[in-house]
Amino acid sequence: MSEWMIPFHYDYMIKAMIACGLIGLTCGLLSAFLTLKGWSLMGDALSHAVVPGVALAYIIGLPLALGSFFAGLFAAAAMAVVKAKSQIREDAVIGIVFTTFFAIGLILIGLYPAQVDLKSIIHGNILGIADRDLWQVLGISMLCLFIICLKWRDLMLFCFDVVQAKTIGLRVGVLHGLLLGLVSAMAVAALQAVGAILVVAMLITPGATAYLVTDRFPRMMMLSALLGAVTASVGAYASYFINGSPGGCIVTLQTLVFLLCWIFAPKHGMLAQGRQKNGSAERKEEQA
Amino acid sequence: MQAAMLSGCLIAVMCAMLSCFLILRGWSLMGDAISHAVLPGIVLAYWIGIPLLIGAFFSGLFCALSTGFIKNHSRIKEDTVMGVVFTGLFAVGLVMFTRTTSDIHLDHILFGNILGISNRQVGEIAAVALVVSAVVWLKRRDFLLLSFDPSQARVIHLPVRFLHYALLCLLTLAIVISLHAVGIILVTALLISPGATAFLWTKRFDRMMAIACATALFSTITGILISYHFDLRSGPCIVLVQALLFVLSMVLGPRWLKKMGRLQENRKKIKAS
Repeated sequence: MSEWMIPFHYDYMIKAMIACGLIGLTCGLLSAFLTLKGWSLMGDALSHAVVPGVALAYIIGLPLALGSFFAGLFAAAAMAVVKAKSQIREDAVIGIVFTTFFAIGLILIGLYPAQVDLKSIIHGNILGIADRDLWQVLGISMLCLFIICLKWRDLMLFCFDVVQAKTIGLRVGVLHGLLLGLVSAMAVAALQAVGAILVVAMLITPGATAYLVTDRFPRMMMLSALLGAVTASVGAYASYFINGSPGGCIVTLQTLVFLLCWIFAPKHGMLAQGRQKNGSAERKEEQA
Repeated sequence: MQAAMLSGCLIAVMCAMLSCFLILRGWSLMGDAISHAVLPGIVLAYWIGIPLLIGAFFSGLFCALSTGFIKNHSRIKEDTVMGVVFTGLFAVGLVMFTRTTSDIHLDHILFGNILGISNRQVGEIAAVALVVSAVVWLKRRDFLLLSFDPSQARVIHLPVRFLHYALLCLLTLAIVISLHAVGIILVTALLISPGATAFLWTKRFDRMMAIACATALFSTITGILISYHFDLRSGPCIVLVQALLFVLSMVLGPRWLKKMGRLQENRKKIKAS
């Protein structure tokens, strides 16, 4: 029993678990909106696109949030311009823009290897995070959480039905920008926890899992936030025992939960749907 | 250096040819997903002691197939499923990787190391690249119809299902063989940018393929030269040159095409008069 308690004796482990939990909570909440809006690829793209922003922030000494926020918005603007100017499909546009941004980030890191650690950007660095960065990450997450709590009804309508949101007088452009801003801000926070490549999982998987379980949006939000928080802290905890890679543990756990829900979810799970199909077939036979 | 150039060019041409189909099919991010998903296969192959490429191939293919399966058996959209599956596989790969003490460098898988490529690897790359390019070239008409209009392909009795999986296999093969040279992130770019750039210039497929190959070759050579002279990673340099070409094409392409169109009209008018 005491063996399982060992991680709690270390300050850095407790810090990591709390930070991951908070980041997971906020990302989970956001992922509910992204799943609904169909912006999964946007999460993928922005999480790669913030890398040059983070690198630049480290090099100049700016706050992380600022660099990432501008890099994210710049990438979103670039996608919009390219899409408007050419007839290329959206997925290709997203692919081109984010690989380019990522490449710029890698070159920046290559030019100033002293200031930025490539490893901590790619794999996250929550176990060895500096206090200054930790506070920034916590601040970003709290701020995003606060904004989502304030605005979740507007954002929900925006994600469900843009036209209706416009009709009842919501400022759609502002909401669009807000959601993009939230995603890029959380991409930076999650980058510290799980690294640039796995951020996208934090921004998709909890929402997709919750979407399999429930049909009601408030419940879906609660569920995905809870899932995000629990998987993130448990993942950080588990990483102690395998000696590294909290990001890998967190996302592995999230994927496992997703697979379980996909198979066993009460209404939309694979087994339930199989039963429904059989049931309707039987009913048809009876009618015949 | 020569080895790097040679293998870089072979990979560039192979990926450029595939990228034309991916752009038309809307599969751009399939490349991204498969390239991330190979990681657990590589680690597993290392554990068992079989060639890494085989492990990578099967785990990439597994990602593509399971994405399709989950999408067909749930109400979640394809891109979301893809995101869940490939990040999950990558994460499993990372966890497995921390449990191994090995001489595989994760950095080399992520970013590639084309300047440090061995002669044997060049041989492997050449063999696979030639086979993949040849198959794509020979079957280009079938793949083209499949990408443009699957229902017509079915009507004229093409083996649609077989072609679909064949394209998937070719894609996975291309990604796997490129990984050691150019890395996960770059291979995504190589599989999108050339096709997209060519798409801006022409609406004829054969020309599109030729332009894609030409831009890919140019950017690979220039990128490797730049990376060599300024001591930068070669992967990002190649991607940036490609992005630059894309932006240039986006700005200049339409104007140039308009001019050509006007010239042709004038010629017709002169002939008519």
